[in-house]
Amino acid sequence: MNSLPNTSAGVDKRHSRRGSSARSTEAHNRRWADLVAALPWITPALIMIFGVVLFPAGLMFYNSTRVISRSGLDKGTAGFGNFAQIFAFPDFGPIVVRTFVWVILVVVLTVLISLALAQLLYKEFPGRRLVRLAVIVPWAASVVMTTLVVYFGLEPYFGIFNKLFIDLGIIHDPAGFGWTKQPETAFLWAIAVAVFVSLPFTTYTILAGLQTVSVDTLEAAKMDGARPARIYVNITLPQLRGAISIAILINIINVFNSLPILRTMTNSIPGYDADTIMTMIFKYIQVQGRVDYASALSVIAFIIVLIVVALYVRVVKPMKEV
Amino acid sequence: MKQTLRIGAAAFSVVAALAFSGCASGPSSNAGSGSTSLNLLVPTYDDKTKGLWQDVITGFEAKNPTIKVNLEVQSWDAIDGVMKTKIQGNQAPDIFNGGPFASYATDDLIYKAEEIASPGTFADFQESFIKNEQLNGTTYALPLIASARALFVNNTLLKQAGVAAAPKTWDELLDAAKKITSLGNGIKGYGMPLGSEETQGEAAIWLWGGGGTFGNETTLKIDDPSNLVGAEQMKKMIDAGVTEENPGSMNRSTLTDVFIQGKIGMQVLLPPIVGQIKEKNPALDYSIVPIPTKDGAPLTLGVADRLMAFKNKGDKQSAITKFMDYFYQADVYTAWVKAEGFLPTTKSGSVALSSLPELKPFLDVLPSARFYPTTNAKWAAADAAFKSLFGKIQTDPAAQVLTSVQKQAMAG
Repeated sequence: MNSLPNTSAGVDKRHSRRGSSARSTEAHNRRWADLVAALPWITPALIMIFGVVLFPAGLMFYNSTRVISRSGLDKGTAGFGNFAQIFAFPDFGPIVVRTFVWVILVVVLTVLISLALAQLLYKEFPGRRLVRLAVIVPWAASVVMTTLVVYFGLEPYFGIFNKLFIDLGIIHDPAGFGWTKQPETAFLWAIAVAVFVSLPFTTYTILAGLQTVSVDTLEAAKMDGARPARIYVNITLPQLRGAISIAILINIINVFNSLPILRTMTNSIPGYDADTIMTMIFKYIQVQGRVDYASALSVIAFIIVLIVVALYVRVVKPMKEV
Repeated sequence: MKQTLRIGAAAFSVVAALAFSGCASGPSSNAGSGSTSLNLLVPTYDDKTKGLWQDVITGFEAKNPTIKVNLEVQSWDAIDGVMKTKIQGNQAPDIFNGGPFASYATDDLIYKAEEIASPGTFADFQESFIKNEQLNGTTYALPLIASARALFVNNTLLKQAGVAAAPKTWDELLDAAKKITSLGNGIKGYGMPLGSEETQGEAAIWLWGGGGTFGNETTLKIDDPSNLVGAEQMKKMIDAGVTEENPGSMNRSTLTDVFIQGKIGMQVLLPPIVGQIKEKNPALDYSIVPIPTKDGAPLTLGVADRLMAFKNKGDKQSAITKFMDYFYQADVYTAWVKAEGFLPTTKSGSVALSSLPELKPFLDVLPSARFYPTTNAKWAAADAAFKSLFGKIQTDPAAQVLTSVQKQAMAG
């Protein structure tokens, strides 16, 4: 995104420097003509950007400062009252901490496992095509479906995972253990599912990165007698920097904004001991009917994501070439 | 979403106001002199619904040749939207089978119940159900079908545990549940589903069973000393370990399957479960008994859907009355209710259906049915607050839980 305006500015400069001012005016006119000719083609995109991105975001900011009744009536301004309500909510602090735990654990585990998986899929072996296909499956399946399969597998009395744990002697209660009935274990299982569904995208991004690692450097290292571990750390990983940092960035945003897994896993638990910011926004809307609070919390979430991403981009510079 | 809601609500109120003040002039729906047509809008309860109404209409039109009934069937998901559109378009159905009626009543869109049923028909309804159709003391709708709850008891487990008779009071219930739980092998005495699926149902049974209340159409009363009795008893059950593990987050439909599998001694359930047991585990030896309460006084949680009649131009009142009188005759009505598998709301219907063994236990408790205060404007928020917070009673003090539910309901 960043590079686009720069490029066009560069073109402008080149144009204006070249030749007389008459030619420059002519070029200027042509650009206008080009723009007018292009308008019909880009208008739908502009409308989309405004209607789908800018307008809802603006409405969210606006709603966060209004008092909105359960039936959706706007009852006037709230100033920053909605924000005050949210900060005064005793579970707000724990929810924010939990959101960070959620994002960090899911992203770190996903990337570590994906690195190993990508390495495996990079190696040639019989049936590699099938294994590569198998890794895509969780991606193709609906997240809610995947989560529900795990959720019901973990049900006490008839869940298939519980049955397995009982048969293996890990659990001794014949009714099974209520994994999804307690906030702590339900949250951990939600993390496991989130890692599982994030693997395909991350693995394939890293796999694509692996294809670009130059074979020359690897062979040179081998010639110099470096051990595989050393080659991986010093030669392969640095060249994967671009792929990994992009994968992390997209995962951070995705995982932060993820609702369905936590909602499915922790929905039956009373109270707010397994909620993240996203599920809390959902509870404000669905359960409490407070669109205004939900909007205010959305704004807070928006700002948090913005800060996190800005920090990340600044420190890691994922766009930078190696 | 929010925007459309708001616009929708505004448009709705404008149109409703127009319709009420009679400014709009729609085309006449009467087809010539002497004959009237009635528009009947109903939701589908199942695949049989449309055919059953068709039968009723055929029978009615044969007896009343001058009245024609137009049937429109909609899904439960769609019917609210359809009603909104129809009312906005000044095309409200003459007779509507619906859920909440309070907003129609306050907007003066519907007839009072006595205006659309002859005294004989009106007097035949169970008093508890008529009370549920009232707003500020006026009855606005005729209860159509009912659902009630009763205690399902696993006879095999009770026998094994040496419990002679099904419990009638809380003390007996706790005692029986303890004995059943001590059978071990994952078997628990009492199923208490307080997960978010339908927390308010189990809560109502316990809180009301201890003499509590949720309030009425004007006041919401959840954080009330009278409710503390039942809440404390729930904690007593949970702390004694006679319920399933983690009752606070166990959903009703899941736990019902566990009961059907024969691993729960007793659970409060609904009439359709009889059919489910027949289908999933016909070997289960169970009986259906009244719900135990603190002192053994009869109580059940009732849910009812209703028929209401819209005034529109006000010229079809007698035709509507004829239809209602025809429909609520014992033979026509019970045929309909029986085929749908619900409970009747009329006294004559109860008598006619009491010979059915699977309905008998529910019919017996119907007169003592109590209902949620659905006409209270805060009830929707209270319902949601129960679902999201009441399960905390598993770990938190009862009084604190009641306070938090009330607080969230009032804020909603």
